[in-house]
Amino acid sequence: MMKNAGRDVGGAPDIAVRQLSVWYNQMPALQNINLYLGAGQVMAIIGPSGCGKSTFLRVLNRMIERLPSVRVEGAVRIGHFDVFDDHVDVTGLRRAVGMVFQHPNPFPMTIFDNVAYGPRIFGIKSSAQLRKTVEDSLKQASLWDEVRGKMRRNAETLSGGQQQRLCIARALAVHPEVLLLDEPTASLDPVSSAKIEELIVQFKSHYTMIIVTHNLQQAARVSDVVAFFEQGRLIEMGYTQDIFTAPKEKRTEEFLTGRFD
Amino acid sequence: MVRQTFHHELTDLEQELIRMGALVEDQLRRAVRSLTEQDVVLAHQVIADDDRVDAMEMDIERRCLTLLALQQPLASDLRVVSTVLKIITDLERMADHAADIAKVTVRLNHEPLVKPLIDIPEMARVTSSMVRLALNAYIHRSIEEAMTMIRLDDAVDHLYARVFRELLEIMRSQPEAIGQGTYLLFVANYIERVADHATNLGEWVIYMVTGRRQELND
Repeated sequence: MMKNAGRDVGGAPDIAVRQLSVWYNQMPALQNINLYLGAGQVMAIIGPSGCGKSTFLRVLNRMIERLPSVRVEGAVRIGHFDVFDDHVDVTGLRRAVGMVFQHPNPFPMTIFDNVAYGPRIFGIKSSAQLRKTVEDSLKQASLWDEVRGKMRRNAETLSGGQQQRLCIARALAVHPEVLLLDEPTASLDPVSSAKIEELIVQFKSHYTMIIVTHNLQQAARVSDVVAFFEQGRLIEMGYTQDIFTAPKEKRTEEFLTGRFD
Repeated sequence: MVRQTFHHELTDLEQELIRMGALVEDQLRRAVRSLTEQDVVLAHQVIADDDRVDAMEMDIERRCLTLLALQQPLASDLRVVSTVLKIITDLERMADHAADIAKVTVRLNHEPLVKPLIDIPEMARVTSSMVRLALNAYIHRSIEEAMTMIRLDDAVDHLYARVFRELLEIMRSQPEAIGQGTYLLFVANYIERVADHATNLGEWVIYMVTGRRQELND
């Protein structure tokens, strides 16, 4: 299920997760997750705190490995990347799978250098090329008009909402195919949140995206499909419209209507 | 239960819906009784009480919109609020038809009936039981009860066809009865429309329970 609905998805990959389980120090964090997300689709992950949402995101780009005593079982495929294969190109994977976090985390450097950071790591030295990449990325993140002519300013002088769009531009600068968004508007005001949501909608079909959010209305507005996690299990996944109007599982129903303890 | 306040408001809303439904059913029964008993005073009461139905519709509608705006209900809660919003429109139309029937009583103004009314009260009896069954199906969240109710619509359609033929026959043989016959045809048509609205209620109950819309009334 969940194929893209006839969209031109360009280079956006599909994501297939099979029998994925994760333990922190023997404590199960994710248990036997199986799901498929079509290329260029937006999936929202919802669920109570501690349900495994953020762990799931961190599996997809292997950030999970940075934590001590983690064990991962199962298979994750993102396009042609077999994520947990011993021979996978981890650098290539992390380029292809960009991530944006709950709190904007610009590097303590200029706006330009923030966005140019990734491309420089990947070996782009030509300043003309860097300028073009930075400008394109900032335009895509709808920040260019607000920061053009201020490229040498420290990124920390930007407002929270601008910083978050800068982080998105920074993620886009290395031409990812997948964007993982971990509560990207949790610390933003409503107008800044609306701008980020609008970006997600515009990015549809260019990138495959997974957003973790505690804001059910936000999940409803931006996603094509919704996955409901609870206690490390995937309880239900379906088209957003179906999940929010008539979920099949009782647990999903109880979560969405607030009929749980 | 983390959303207790909201769920109390939702329960209050549903109780108000049932009260409105009961009033509409009563309006239909009293309207037809005013006709069969040629009770013009009762007919005027039914016509006046239509304002109460309209006021209830406005009140319930306002409460639904407030809940949508302030509580952003989801899943079954969303289906309840949208079902209530749709059902009150059907109920309001049914009440309008009851008032229309009462207006016929007023128009006839004690004019002797061309024939004793048998099938029209029977149509009304089946139809008002459909309304009651629809409300019960709503309360019990019962697809079976909704389906049972919807099937009664065939009986109403059947009676309507018979009333239609009989009145046509009377008007053909007694041209002086054409005026009253036409009014009685209107009445039969109003009742038939009320039964159709009742089947809509059943379809909305099925939607509320299953999340699926289906047309069951053909």
